[in-house]
Amino acid sequence: MDPAPVLYAIRIQGHLGATVLSAFPALVPRHHGADTVLTGLLDRSALYGVLAEVEALGLGLLEVRQLPPHRESPESGDCRSP
Amino acid sequence: MAPAGPRLIDRNDLLAVLDGATARKVTIISAPAGSGKTSLLRAWADRPDPRYRLAVVQVQRDEHDAQQFWLALLSVVRQASVPTSRVEPAVGTPEFNEQAMVDRVLSELADHRGLILVIDDLHELISPDAIAQLTRLLTNLPPHVHAVLATRHDLPLRLHQLRLAGELAEIRAADLRFSERETRELLDAAGIVLSGAAVALLHQRTEGWAAGLRLAVISLADHPDPERFVAEFSGSDRMVAEYLIAEMLERQPDDVKDLLLRTSLLARVNGELADLLTGRPGSERILLSLEDANAFVVSLDAERAWFRYHRLFADLLRLELRSTLPEEVPALHRQAAGWFIQHGQVLDAIRHTQAAGDWPGAARLLADHSFSLTLDGQAQTIQALLQAFPRGADDPELALVRAESDLVQGRLDEAAAHLAVAEKYVQAAPPDRQRRLQVAVASLKLSLARRRGNFAGVLDQAKCLDSPVGGRSDQDIALDSDLRAVALMNLGTVEAWSLGLPDAERHLREGAALARRIGRPYLEVACLAQLGFASKIRPFATARRRCQEAIALAERHGWGAEPIVAPALVTLAGVMAWTGEFDECERWLQRTKQALQTDTGPDIRLLLHLTAGILHACRGRHREALQEFSVAEHLRSQLAGSHALASQVTGWLLTTQARLGMTGEARACLAALDDDRARSGEIRNACAVICLAEGDPAAALRVVEDVLDGTAPVVGYVTVVMADLLAGLAYRQLGDQRAANQAAERALALAEADRLILPFAITGSAELLEALPRHETAHAALLADILDVLHGSSLVAGDQSSSPLTEELSPTELRVLRYLPTNLSRPEIASELSISVNTVNTHVRNIYAKLQARDRTSAVQRARELRLLSAGLTR
Repeated sequence: MDPAPVLYAIRIQGHLGATVLSAFPALVPRHHGADTVLTGLLDRSALYGVLAEVEALGLGLLEVRQLPPHRESPESGDCRSP
Repeated sequence: MAPAGPRLIDRNDLLAVLDGATARKVTIISAPAGSGKTSLLRAWADRPDPRYRLAVVQVQRDEHDAQQFWLALLSVVRQASVPTSRVEPAVGTPEFNEQAMVDRVLSELADHRGLILVIDDLHELISPDAIAQLTRLLTNLPPHVHAVLATRHDLPLRLHQLRLAGELAEIRAADLRFSERETRELLDAAGIVLSGAAVALLHQRTEGWAAGLRLAVISLADHPDPERFVAEFSGSDRMVAEYLIAEMLERQPDDVKDLLLRTSLLARVNGELADLLTGRPGSERILLSLEDANAFVVSLDAERAWFRYHRLFADLLRLELRSTLPEEVPALHRQAAGWFIQHGQVLDAIRHTQAAGDWPGAARLLADHSFSLTLDGQAQTIQALLQAFPRGADDPELALVRAESDLVQGRLDEAAAHLAVAEKYVQAAPPDRQRRLQVAVASLKLSLARRRGNFAGVLDQAKCLDSPVGGRSDQDIALDSDLRAVALMNLGTVEAWSLGLPDAERHLREGAALARRIGRPYLEVACLAQLGFASKIRPFATARRRCQEAIALAERHGWGAEPIVAPALVTLAGVMAWTGEFDECERWLQRTKQALQTDTGPDIRLLLHLTAGILHACRGRHREALQEFSVAEHLRSQLAGSHALASQVTGWLLTTQARLGMTGEARACLAALDDDRARSGEIRNACAVICLAEGDPAAALRVVEDVLDGTAPVVGYVTVVMADLLAGLAYRQLGDQRAANQAAERALALAEADRLILPFAITGSAELLEALPRHETAHAALLADILDVLHGSSLVAGDQSSSPLTEELSPTELRVLRYLPTNLSRPEIASELSISVNTVNTHVRNIYAKLQARDRTSAVQRARELRLLSAGLTR
């Protein structure tokens, strides 16, 4: 189990307005069609905290996805060697 | 449960499923926030069913404290059996045994003929042990008792058995979703006119989600253009709840909107509190009309004084508050905290003070009240509050709270460390807090010392208890009293176990009286139980009475198997052993073992092993006795400082070793004792036993001289009785029958008052006693009883009530009865009547039972009262 924070994308049904978004200060929102995707760096505890908040607010959880690290970082792991 | 509002429709299909709950054992409603679970339960509970009563519990938000949950459950179960009168709420205890609590709930449930347990918001119960115990409860429900649970997500309740047996019903989100038809019914009931297409749109957009529909209804109710509202709503992509709440708020008058926002940070609200937070009067009226208008504001009781918002609703309002009035939020929390303090609701006050970010203030509040809260049984709640404090900046006030928390959980070393920090702080504390902190620190030190069995140097903590209970407010006095009662209990206990006995009794009695005055039954039981132990040196009748008093009080509150009553249980067992009631003794030892399943320290376990060893010795099982005494001795060596039971434990150990022929080891142990201990009467007696085992009666006589002339310190007069008997045995071995008889007679005389049997049984004095010429002894009845016991029959316990004969004695029984006042032993009676000893034993047992006597003397007395011994009887 990886304890370090990881990039997560959490897809919620509907567009979240400012009020509800204020419950997720650590996440960056983006509209994707009729849904909202919240992205941010979270470790396991923080992830489950976010999911608990999603449940508490009755939000429609569509997807939780772990994203690969940014391509700019040197430890990206993809082998684009010259 | 508060009655459902008027605008909810009857969802008959779902109500029918819940009615089916009376057919299945357990029904679980598992669906997300806002699905309509609570509304459904309330509508269902409103419909009276003559066959079943309801006991409803709504779990508090973020309930970390399993004990609070179970107490609430126990209270509603009790209330359900007497719906018209108010039942006292169940009392919490500092030490919580969850298994025993669930057993209590089960036994209360067993008395019901038709009860449905309803537990709402079960997901709020954040305690892993509670879930396991709840599983046990649900799988062991008595017949005619059913359960309905509501939760937001599935819980790890292992109910496979019930499912396989077809005794589990489930209602899930899909079942709770409003159909299009139900949507139309809802709109009709609210008086809203919409086209069929609009209804379909509304249904589709909300996906039949109950909360969404109800929010929409609020906005649609007085809307000038409902069709447009629905069209706009459907056309928007915004999250349903957010959109509709915003709409709803916009349509409220300013004062209502303001009230909703400001009070959203409360777990529950009343008019007065709302007035305070809004700075305007008239809140009660608003709350009442809100409840009438919609299902999101609910009153909590029949008087409609307190209200609660639907949690989802409140959460969204709170977010709205934080975005629109962020600078006001800490002030609102502080205002709420102030109100709660004034009204004695400490936990709410602490939570709001924490939420206001006032960590030092919260720490002070917690430090002031944690003691009383722990006594109330809120230990786990306090834990949760402690964890909410930010790490790093550790407030010294919290050291005291952490020390208490550690003590409750048995982490003694950590408790000592925190206590040291707290003590340093007391010197630097502001003067108005110093006295209370000093008393609290002293009280905790006493608790710690008692738990560790470390008695030395703690007795001067009593100084701070001698100053009178001062105090500014009622609350101060209450806090001081709690501290004082606990301190008295601990002080008395420490004194009892380290031999400051007269002070011990005084302090424990004072503690019990204070505990009764301030309504702390748990402390009262604790003090009385320790008083039972401290009474050991008194006449056994006193000790017996005190122990029984403590046990009776404990049982009244359902604490008969709790560790606090163990001192009384084991002391009572000891008394029984001393008076020859060996079977009773064993029963009470069993009860003590059960009560001590949760470890409570070496001292009480020492007493348990000591008493168990004594019982074995009485029954001639010397090997088992040696085992018990060895364990007790090991425990004693772990206890720092002098110990009231020390000389007894070592004495018994040595004596048993000698009886088993291990005189070498016994001598070695004896030699290892320091002079002080070797001088005690109990050790002297043990030495005499060793001498007798080694075949040196003259040495034995020399050794017990100190005891007989009163110069050796003794725990109680029973040691002198033993010494007399040992002297008697020694004289017999030396051939001096007259001196032997005199010694035996002395022993009998001392033993008469309490009717002691044990010394005679232990010392193997059968021959000594039988050699006593019967007509020369003044203690015939006692002697006869002793001989009966020595020859194997056990005394029957019985109470001393003087009710008339329940059953006539048979002719043969009467014949046996007439021999009881004589000095003849049972074998002699058997030979006089030409029957077997077994027959005599049977008759005597029956006689005792019918006369409700526990020994020969009382049987004779009863017989005289009932004139059964009259010479005129010729049967």
